[in-house]
Amino acid sequence: MSKVIFMDLNRCIYCRSCEIACEREHNGHSFMSVLILDERHSVPMNCRHCKNSPCIAVCPSGALTKLENGPVIIETMKCIGCSLCAMVCPFGVLELDNLSKVMRKCDLCIHRLNENKLPACVSSCPARALAYDEFDVIMQKVKNRAAKAVISGAGLEPGIVVSPPQS
Amino acid sequence: MTGLVATLGSGAMTNPILDLVNSKCIFIIGSNFAENHPIAARWVLDAKEHGAKIIVADPRYTPTAWIADIFLQLKPGTDIALLNCMLHTIIKENLYDKVFVQKRTSGFDQIKALAAKYDADTVEKITGVPSGLLQEAARLYAKAQSAAIVYCMGITQHTYGHGNVVSCANLALICGNIGQPGTGVLPLRGQDNVQGACDMGGLPTVLPGYASVTDETSRRRIAAMWGKEDLPAEPGLTVVEMMNAAGEGKVKAMYIMGENPMVSDPNTEHVRQALDKLDFLVVQDIFLTETAELADVVLPGACWAEKEGTVTATSRSVQWRAKAVATPGEAKADLDIICRIAKKLGFEFNYQNANEVLREINRVVPSYAGITPERVKQVGGLTWPCPTTDHPGTPILHIDTFATIERLGQLIPVEHRTPFEMTDAEYPLLLTTGRVVMHYNAGSMTRRSTSLLKRSPALFVEVNPADAKKLGISVDEKVKISTKRGETTAKTTITNSIPPGVVFMPFHFSGTNALVVDALDEKAKIPEFKVAACRIDKSK
Repeated sequence: MSKVIFMDLNRCIYCRSCEIACEREHNGHSFMSVLILDERHSVPMNCRHCKNSPCIAVCPSGALTKLENGPVIIETMKCIGCSLCAMVCPFGVLELDNLSKVMRKCDLCIHRLNENKLPACVSSCPARALAYDEFDVIMQKVKNRAAKAVISGAGLEPGIVVSPPQS
Repeated sequence: MTGLVATLGSGAMTNPILDLVNSKCIFIIGSNFAENHPIAARWVLDAKEHGAKIIVADPRYTPTAWIADIFLQLKPGTDIALLNCMLHTIIKENLYDKVFVQKRTSGFDQIKALAAKYDADTVEKITGVPSGLLQEAARLYAKAQSAAIVYCMGITQHTYGHGNVVSCANLALICGNIGQPGTGVLPLRGQDNVQGACDMGGLPTVLPGYASVTDETSRRRIAAMWGKEDLPAEPGLTVVEMMNAAGEGKVKAMYIMGENPMVSDPNTEHVRQALDKLDFLVVQDIFLTETAELADVVLPGACWAEKEGTVTATSRSVQWRAKAVATPGEAKADLDIICRIAKKLGFEFNYQNANEVLREINRVVPSYAGITPERVKQVGGLTWPCPTTDHPGTPILHIDTFATIERLGQLIPVEHRTPFEMTDAEYPLLLTTGRVVMHYNAGSMTRRSTSLLKRSPALFVEVNPADAKKLGISVDEKVKISTKRGETTAKTTITNSIPPGVVFMPFHFSGTNALVVDALDEKAKIPEFKVAACRIDKSK
């Protein structure tokens, strides 16, 4: 059973608490970065821990693996720093560590997961824009919310609203 | 605070923040909670998911404004005109709550006369907000089944901050949006436990529990609890008044705890001169702040995790905070320091711990009588008024009556005024100030965090691209910002989130408050941090 980090882009307020929390968990380095678009949307970007991970597929040294409980992790001793994983990643979230010459990435706070805690980014999000749960559980919540919105006449908002910057 | 006391009888938030989820319309004016109270965003977003409409009025298109269904980009300092215009539309279109107005308020005729003057076309000219949007916002707020008003320093930090607050209360009162879930007037406090400090009499005019120092009966009641016959009957000075008195040599010594006026007070140069003039300055803080550097004696205090006791949140909820770690080095819990100093001065401050202090609060402050150490530790949060130990607390105020003398909500007409300082040929830009998400207040703590500094390293000034073009300045350029009081340098951030003619600077760094005016609201005594006339020049 693996869980995913779900981002509700309508709820992200660009407070960057997730970045700071990630930094605290990972020796002063954040694997989460919140990007701001058109001065009116913000998107928290980190590793999506893909089910069919292109990074794992191309890794020539077998350094990348997907664990049963979800995280795609990197074994730095096996990494040769070729950056192929970064080239195929659709999200640009893999990093080359200039010091150790190996790749590094979000580990989904595996040390916290092992203690039954949420990933730091999720647990620190004040706006509840980030959630960590089973895919189906999250989708059920989205459905429930959508159903309520239909009934209340609030109307539905697409998950991502990219509208032109205001004049 | 004074504005809500005059209209509703109590200066506190009427409803808790998490009650916003029950609101069908949330009108946010002068608050950028997405950056300054991010936790509040959770409940506003939840309300929106439940179908609430969100109105945001702010001169800047902030992350809070991103949430808005209707965004009213008003010119700085024109809040009263905007609010009066909403009254105008609501009264003209008969959308006000007649039963509520008749049964629970007084002064409607004056409000009606006032509102008549603020039609949408007139107010469009004052505020710069299109008349159609003003009317749409008014209708949304008035027609919603339950509507709440949230405001913060964008409303209060003006020379007519009192009037701004009264105008917010007027709007809530005529629509009957008080005393029910999802309604209310919610001033978000600037810092943790400011509410508690006010409740305990940390204001120059009141004793604990808002007992007026000029009211002999309540003064003597409290004096008796402290084993005294009477207490001084003269109101003291407010923060800026103290600084002025120090500058005039009238105040000789000052004991500053957990405050950094060298960064947070207006007109920094004046503050420095005033503090220099003191015979004796004691500063108690967790870091050697800009103010502590000027002190004769520095007392190392404790941070929140190093001491125990209650804190009262902005929504009047009293919570117990346990001590988590020991104080480092010579630092001591603030209660310990205060007790030791009091004893040296000959007072009997024999509190062994914060429990004993809370027990005294239970005796002295009637609205805290039921908030005992045992209960507050057990339930995790109790909201005053909580008069007895079996009382559940009062999350929503003014359900049946108001706390005013007449027990009615007082509708008080307030006219639009221009800010203390307006632009002219020499100072053509309006400077407004505020906070950013990465820093807290004077930055005494946050400017020491590498994580936060990395993301927000230094003072900046937000400029609209049109103004930047006119001034010939580019992104990240070091520029000189000057007002009649002083000048400072900052790097530019060029953004459409601020309208042409207005610039924004955060006050977390030294420099900003060297620029702002120290003119005060005559009632609330709050300085006008939100509007000053400035100019920007290329730095040589």
